[in-house]
Amino acid sequence: MFAKLKKKIAEETAVAQRPGGATRIPRSVSKESVASMGADSGDDFASDGSSSREDLSSQLLRRNEQIRKLEARLSDYAEQVRNHQKIKEKLEIALEKHQDSSMRKFHEQNETFQANRAKMAEGLALTLARKDQEWSEKVDQLEKENRFLTAQLQEIKNQSLNLFQKRDEMDELEGFQQQELSKVKHLLLRKEETLGKMEQELEARTRELSHTQEELMISNQMSSDLSRKLEELQRHYSTLEEQRDRVTTSKTGAESKMPALEQKGQELQPFIQQLSIELQKVTAETQEKEKLIHLQKVASLEKRLEQNLLGEERVQELLKEKTVAEQNLEDTRQQLLEARSTQAIAIGILETRVKELEQTLQASEERLKQSSEVMASQEAQIQALSRVNEEGRCAQQQALTVQQQCTERVHVLEAQIAALEREQEADRTAMEHKMRELEQENTALKESRNECERSLQLHQLELKKLKEEWSQREIVSVAMAQALEEVRKQREEFQQQAANLTAVIDEKEQNLQEKTEVVLRKEQEILQLKKGHDSALLQIHQLQSELGVLRSVRAEVPGAAAVPADLWRLPGHEQGLALSAREPHVTLKAREDPMYQLSAAEGTPNGEVGTMDPGQLQKEKQDLEQQLIEKNKIIKQMQQRMLELRKTLQKELKIRPDNELFEVREKPGPEMPNLAPSVTNNTDLTDAREINFEYLKHVVLKFMSCRESEAFHLIKAVSVLLNFSQEEENMLKETLEYKMSWFGSRPAPKGSIRPSISTPRIPWS
Amino acid sequence: MGGFFSSIFSSLFGTREMRILILGLDGAGKTTILYRLQVGEVVTTIPTIGFNVETVTYKNLKFQVWDLGGQTSIRPYWRCYYSNTDAVIYVVDSCDRDRIGISKSELVAMLEEEELRKAILVVFANKQDMEQAMTPSEMANSLGLPALKDRKWQIFKTSATKGTGLDEAMEWLVETLKSRQ
Repeated sequence: MFAKLKKKIAEETAVAQRPGGATRIPRSVSKESVASMGADSGDDFASDGSSSREDLSSQLLRRNEQIRKLEARLSDYAEQVRNHQKIKEKLEIALEKHQDSSMRKFHEQNETFQANRAKMAEGLALTLARKDQEWSEKVDQLEKENRFLTAQLQEIKNQSLNLFQKRDEMDELEGFQQQELSKVKHLLLRKEETLGKMEQELEARTRELSHTQEELMISNQMSSDLSRKLEELQRHYSTLEEQRDRVTTSKTGAESKMPALEQKGQELQPFIQQLSIELQKVTAETQEKEKLIHLQKVASLEKRLEQNLLGEERVQELLKEKTVAEQNLEDTRQQLLEARSTQAIAIGILETRVKELEQTLQASEERLKQSSEVMASQEAQIQALSRVNEEGRCAQQQALTVQQQCTERVHVLEAQIAALEREQEADRTAMEHKMRELEQENTALKESRNECERSLQLHQLELKKLKEEWSQREIVSVAMAQALEEVRKQREEFQQQAANLTAVIDEKEQNLQEKTEVVLRKEQEILQLKKGHDSALLQIHQLQSELGVLRSVRAEVPGAAAVPADLWRLPGHEQGLALSAREPHVTLKAREDPMYQLSAAEGTPNGEVGTMDPGQLQKEKQDLEQQLIEKNKIIKQMQQRMLELRKTLQKELKIRPDNELFEVREKPGPEMPNLAPSVTNNTDLTDAREINFEYLKHVVLKFMSCRESEAFHLIKAVSVLLNFSQEEENMLKETLEYKMSWFGSRPAPKGSIRPSISTPRIPWS
Repeated sequence: MGGFFSSIFSSLFGTREMRILILGLDGAGKTTILYRLQVGEVVTTIPTIGFNVETVTYKNLKFQVWDLGGQTSIRPYWRCYYSNTDAVIYVVDSCDRDRIGISKSELVAMLEEEELRKAILVVFANKQDMEQAMTPSEMANSLGLPALKDRKWQIFKTSATKGTGLDEAMEWLVETLKSRQ
């Protein structure tokens, strides 16, 4: 819109300037001509000054020529005036035309502007109203949505509160559930414990039962043993009775034998007495006979002793007789002995018979006694047996009673067991029932919990959805707010545009006013031009008068010298006039003569450039030089840095040369020769030193702070870094070893080892 | 007798700590590997000027692990730490193809040392998580590992930041150290 307007204005201005442009060419020509004339006159004047006054004729000729020229110039001027007038007329016409057209155009533009403005204002108002309506609707909608969302939010909050409550309830329920579960578990455990106890009791009872059964068995066995014993005893009893019968019979037999034996004894006693009397007779006879024998012997022996004294034959006969007598004695003795022995034998036999009889008696008595003892013992035995029998019976009865008791107890125990089992079963069933109930409860609770969780999840999902919706709504509302803001901005922009347009219109109006002013000025200028024309006419008149004067001067030669001066003064006068006119109102002059203005405009800046430039240029030059110096410095720094970088790069590439510090690595590798020697070392020393100093610092710090076992490994590094001598390194090692070991003596500090300052080496290169 | 005492000593005070060096060029990831092995975490590291030493226990074996700084200016000091070293973990940046030559020359120079004649060599082809990383075989060839003689060596592809490959490498190292004893 504005562009169009601008274009229009530009076109108009172009149209307005074109008529002026048409007048330029003659004007410039005239100016050139004036300038050339001036130059010519100058030359003439100079030559005039130098020439002698003797050649008046030639001067006159020249004057004539000059006059001719001046006439030609006058005619030119007249033409110029005519032209001026024509131009003036043209200008007037053009001005009028221009004025009219501009006025028209201005009017039109104004109208169109106003129309446009009105339209735009209307459109803007309409659009604004529409937009306002829309936005108010949208705002209403948004507010509604906002309300709805807030309501939803509240609902959601309520729901979330409900959810939280539900969750709390759930938690409580879970707590109760867990409590109940724990209770039930506790009960279960207790029941199990009681069950265990009951089972233990049951086991104890069963054990007792088995024990009693065993006892029963034992008692049965005992009773059977006892019955067996009883039977044996009865058998024994019967045998004993038999024995007793036999003994009684033998007793009766013995008693019957007894009187017979006494009778025999009585019979035998007289016999024994006879025998003893006989014995006494026999002994008496034997004693007499022995006496007789002894007497015969003594007589025979006395005879033989008397005969022995007579001869040996007699002795022998006597001895023979003695032997015979002795033999007779012995025979008689033997006969006696035989008789005695027969007697003794008989007595012995009798005695033996008596003894036998007595023995038999005694034996029978003994036997009697024995039998009676046996009887007594047997009776005692019988009694004992009967007692035993009774005892056995008692035992049997006891056994029976015990058995009965046992059976009773067994029954009781079985009944108890049965009862216990029943109880157990009942407990079990109850327990199972409870368990089932609990499980059901548990499942129910779990289900409820699951349901709750599901509902919770659903609620949470809903919540999330609602939150999402809320966020979306928020986003939408934010977007709407943004859109609203944008619309507001647009509105503001529109308003600004409207304001701008009004401002533009104002400007245009101002322009119009200015134009009208310009038109007025132009009129004034025209007036002034007329005046100028008048003055030019006056000048022409003056010139004509001067011409007349010159013609008169032509007549009088000496006065001719003043003419060129006047002629010279003429353009100067004109310029002075122009200058005097320029001074009060420059704008007017500028408007009056665009060409002039242009030349002036061209002249002044150029002149300014001419005057201002050297200082500025010098300044600029100095600045540039400074910049150049700075740039050079920077370039130098960069080059230095480049060099450093290159050196570090080379160092990186040539690690080997650096390692020559260690003097060990002197074996040149195959790649060594093509690596350049360490030329860069000296320049790079500070950087390397810095890094090495940092390294040394770190190593020493670690050496002092770390464990001895680690420090031991650091000795070499430290000694290399600090250029320790071998002795110093060894001392350090010994000291550390002493510190590490549990025993051992501290190595004596050697005074001979001094810090190796005296042998300076290049450190850390 | 001495053996008896030493066995008692070792039973009393545990086995000797294995001494391991982690070497490699700067920025290969040595410090990250050390702390990954020790605490199992990725720590933020700065360029090591100096060294780090930590005790790492792996499968009842105690390691005294030395992570020596790998910058060019302090690389010459590596040889100060070579004595009594059981194993060398040589870490190489798998993505740094430009400096693999430097890495190889450092490795070769290191392996020529008499003090490291018996040391086991484990090469970590680190930073395998990056793209354009070299494969272990490629790296082994460019480091000239197949030409090594009288040396137990193995190469593992690792990523210290991801923690992959370290366990296998340590497993191998532990087994090799145990079998060597």
